[in-house]
Amino acid sequence: MGRIEFLNVYKRYPSGFEALRDLSLVFEEGSMTFLTGHSGAGKTTCLKLLLCLDNPTHGQILVNGVNVSRLSARRLPHYRQNLGAVFQDHKLLAARSVFDNVALPLRVSHMREREMRRRVSAALNRVGLLERESLLPMQLSTGEQQRVGIARALVSRPKILLADEPTGNLDPELSQDIMALFQGFNEVGATVIVASHDRALIESLDNPVVELSHGMRVR
Amino acid sequence: MARDVVAFISTRTGASLLVWLLVGIALALPAGLMLLQANLSRLTADWGGGRPSVSVYMKLGAPNAAELAAQLERRVDVEAVALTTQDEALAEFTAYTGLGDALIGLARNPLPASLRVTFAADAHADALAAVAAAMREAEGVADVVVERTWLARVNAISRLASALGWVLGALFGVGAVLVTATSVRLAIDARLDELKVMKLVGASDAQLRRPFLYFGALYGAGGGLVAAMLVSLGLIVLEAPLLDLLGSFDQTLALVGFDAVFVATLVGFGSALGMAGAVVAVRQRLAGLDVM
Repeated sequence: MGRIEFLNVYKRYPSGFEALRDLSLVFEEGSMTFLTGHSGAGKTTCLKLLLCLDNPTHGQILVNGVNVSRLSARRLPHYRQNLGAVFQDHKLLAARSVFDNVALPLRVSHMREREMRRRVSAALNRVGLLERESLLPMQLSTGEQQRVGIARALVSRPKILLADEPTGNLDPELSQDIMALFQGFNEVGATVIVASHDRALIESLDNPVVELSHGMRVR
Repeated sequence: MARDVVAFISTRTGASLLVWLLVGIALALPAGLMLLQANLSRLTADWGGGRPSVSVYMKLGAPNAAELAAQLERRVDVEAVALTTQDEALAEFTAYTGLGDALIGLARNPLPASLRVTFAADAHADALAAVAAAMREAEGVADVVVERTWLARVNAISRLASALGWVLGALFGVGAVLVTATSVRLAIDARLDELKVMKLVGASDAQLRRPFLYFGALYGAGGGLVAAMLVSLGLIVLEAPLLDLLGSFDQTLALVGFDAVFVATLVGFGSALGMAGAVVAVRQRLAGLDVM
């Protein structure tokens, strides 16, 4: 699982706002692509559709040839367990420790305790937060919180990693650190899509860029 | 997961106690009425099988009591006819009252022979009226007493209690469902962020729903226990006046129905109602959960 195709995708919200218009895209397996554009261009909508949190009004979204917007409620959880997602607001559970936050996807998939501990420790080690596993998210800096979010996205070793403005609240140096983590993950074969409007960051890296404007591809 | 549910309830002790009390009150009233109905039914069953009867009092010295008894026994709607002769009536009077000596001085036995007619279980009310009318017309009959008034009243009260129990059970059942639904909805709201993240990382709808179903079931089961306690408290309060009432009918108090099965049924029913409330809340709250 890793090749992603948007085929003539339209998305119109009940308010009448047209977030995507006849969008056709291909993200090759093992690629790392930036999805950019102004606010409201349709970046987050693309990720929402990929996470099956919403359905396209028209068109198909294929992941390895499977139209994921038609997945049954029974198959959806398994599909999502094979995706990693990172968000600008981290979406960490404030009352749970760093360890528990990172372990959440594994608990959801009923992984055995010993294997889960091993995987969580490995993921935290990878983002440099192994020593802070017992802390609560609020005891961490913003950059550290984002790294916890990344560890949670990586812990289940997904084939696809989606990131929605992952460096939105971070300074340039921390943003580069975060991107280095994504690149490292991409190098081991995962397909990575990073939605960002940080042009400086995008231009500093040598990755393919898809630019959206008013729901259409312009680059 | 069970640990999570218990932990959540323990952080909201006051609210949880209130929910248990509300559900308990909602279940206690219909349960109490059902218990009352069960005991009234038993009462009427003990007092003549719950069936009306007709007592026929003969004129003094009337010779045809046995003949009338035989005539009545031939009816298909009559189950039994008990003939009490004048001598037997005197013997019973003496045995019950100890005043037999007072009657010895009289020239003749003043107590009449009588027939007690018990009707078949499926006998129609018209049969009762027909027998009473026929006996009033019969030769040698002094009086006919249809002994159905108090039984009919007790039966009517029993039926009313049963109907009220069902109506109140339905109304308060809906109330209990709504109370638990509201409580579960509050619990969902308190954990909304966690649910959104769980959905994002691949939790199934069943995984999201399950703790709240347990939660509702626990609220309902607790409510059932409180209802059992309230009914028990009600029985303690009502025991003395009930003893007085039943004593006036030469009966003793032997309440049936309030046992382990009754308590288990209340807890189970409460638990089912609580779970139904949780299903309502979960469907409403989690259906359109916007996680991004």
